[in-house]
Amino acid sequence: MVEFAIFFLFAAIAVIFALVVVLHRNPVVGALSLVASFFALAVMYVLLDAPFLAALQVIVYAGAIMVLFLFVIMLLNLQHVAEPNTRPIQQFLGYTGAAAFGIGLIYFILKYAVFTALPEGPFIADARAIGFRMFEAYIFPFEMVSILLLAAIVGALTLSGRAVGHRASVGTELDKAPGAEAR
Amino acid sequence: MAFDTTDVLLSILKIVIILSVWLTVAPIMLWVERRGSALIQDRPGPNRVGPFGLFQGLADAVKFLMKEDIVPAQAHKWLYTIAPTFGLLPALTTIAVVPWGRAFHIRELHIGGFTLFEGGRWFNPIVADVSAGILVVFALASLAVYGVTIAGWSSANKYSMFGAIRASAQMISYELALTLAAVSALLVAGSLRLTDVVAQQTTYNFVLFDLIKIPAWNVFSPAMWLAFIIFSVAAFAETNRLPFDFAEAESELVAGYHTEYSSMKFALFFMGEYMSMATMSALVVTLFLGGWDIPWYQEPPTLLGGILSFISFLLKVGVLMFVFVWVRWTIPRLKYDILMRLGWKVFLPLALFNIVLVAAFIAAGWI
Repeated sequence: MVEFAIFFLFAAIAVIFALVVVLHRNPVVGALSLVASFFALAVMYVLLDAPFLAALQVIVYAGAIMVLFLFVIMLLNLQHVAEPNTRPIQQFLGYTGAAAFGIGLIYFILKYAVFTALPEGPFIADARAIGFRMFEAYIFPFEMVSILLLAAIVGALTLSGRAVGHRASVGTELDKAPGAEAR
Repeated sequence: MAFDTTDVLLSILKIVIILSVWLTVAPIMLWVERRGSALIQDRPGPNRVGPFGLFQGLADAVKFLMKEDIVPAQAHKWLYTIAPTFGLLPALTTIAVVPWGRAFHIRELHIGGFTLFEGGRWFNPIVADVSAGILVVFALASLAVYGVTIAGWSSANKYSMFGAIRASAQMISYELALTLAAVSALLVAGSLRLTDVVAQQTTYNFVLFDLIKIPAWNVFSPAMWLAFIIFSVAAFAETNRLPFDFAEAESELVAGYHTEYSSMKFALFFMGEYMSMATMSALVVTLFLGGWDIPWYQEPPTLLGGILSFISFLLKVGVLMFVFVWVRWTIPRLKYDILMRLGWKVFLPLALFNIVLVAAFIAAGWI
């Protein structure tokens, strides 16, 4: 009973904040709403008996990735540009594409997640079990992800165009007036 | 898990105890900070309000409540109001997974015909003994960045924005060193639960002739000294205290990210800073200084043992808080690029090396 209430409350929070992300005009408010949505998802993980995963969700998603998103949004200093009116063909394709995607999503989720039985055996999701899986059965994907992150870092360094050893000045991006225009 | 009324009531009692202690940290630290800084700077400090200026906290609280709340015209109203709570939230919630006393057994009580605590009950002085204990701490501590960032951004003030960007970059850099340094203590304990970390430190490491017993506090193991130093320094960086206080930087940025905040909102930032100092001290105590353990004394699993261990925990946290104040008024601020370089190029490799070192020690059986 209590679990049910908690589940509905946090599911509602997750959905509402996700809608705020999509519909609100201020990107900073959107980013923070996404953080709140991730928090609600972490509560879902706890309800599913995976507290380790819940903590990781908050640490990685809400605590690191969204901070970087916020940095980018704040430093970009977006101006609110009025969008041109959408043409009917754009609207039609948009709606049908979104509907097709939604139907396909629901179908595949039902087929592979709802109507498929869970594997046998007790469900242990603590650090020890995940550690064993990660370094024994899934060691190859683990190493591949590390190389992927390394590639991302090298790519970011290359694209930012700074030569090795060149000291970047801190204040260059911040010369524009922050925040006030981005409404 | 079956909960009954007694469990819920005991939980509420634990929350009340630890929250009341933590909420009084701010006024106490205010007095300690001002008298301590005066002591270090060879001047009297507040001595008008009450004996030794002890009621200065009360005077400041009244001031904060009475001051006019000024909101800048161009500030984003919602975010401007919410930002102080982001600063307060980590400080108040992370203390939920820190054990602050020895678990003790409560006997059945028969009072006036009612039977309380039927069959006896174990009172574990930790609000939430989750299996992923320390990860909850890191998860909530990583939310502290948002308080600074949003406060600076929503103030529509260049100085605040500067302070916020610099402070948040500093905080996320030192979060890494903090987490990796804590991993060493977790390796020794073999568990993520903070109660296990403390329980492992209640034994004795080096017993000589049954007389000379060195408590197994992590700070006494040579492999953990590096982790202790890195964790303590990263704790300074995480709470934005000197020598890492780029968020405030009084002489540079007016008041950094909380320039535009007045009265109660500023008081919330202020309280949040002191409370996160207390929480970080509690973490250092739990991971490296033996938590609630009193060194050569076997605390009995009774109410007396529980209270003594709670007092010992508070004493240790108090000593570390004084060290925070001491360092603030002793060491000058680090230059920003040196600070960032220190975080990424010195502490992160050292913390990684320390994990390998501790793992090697454990494998060789020396810990």
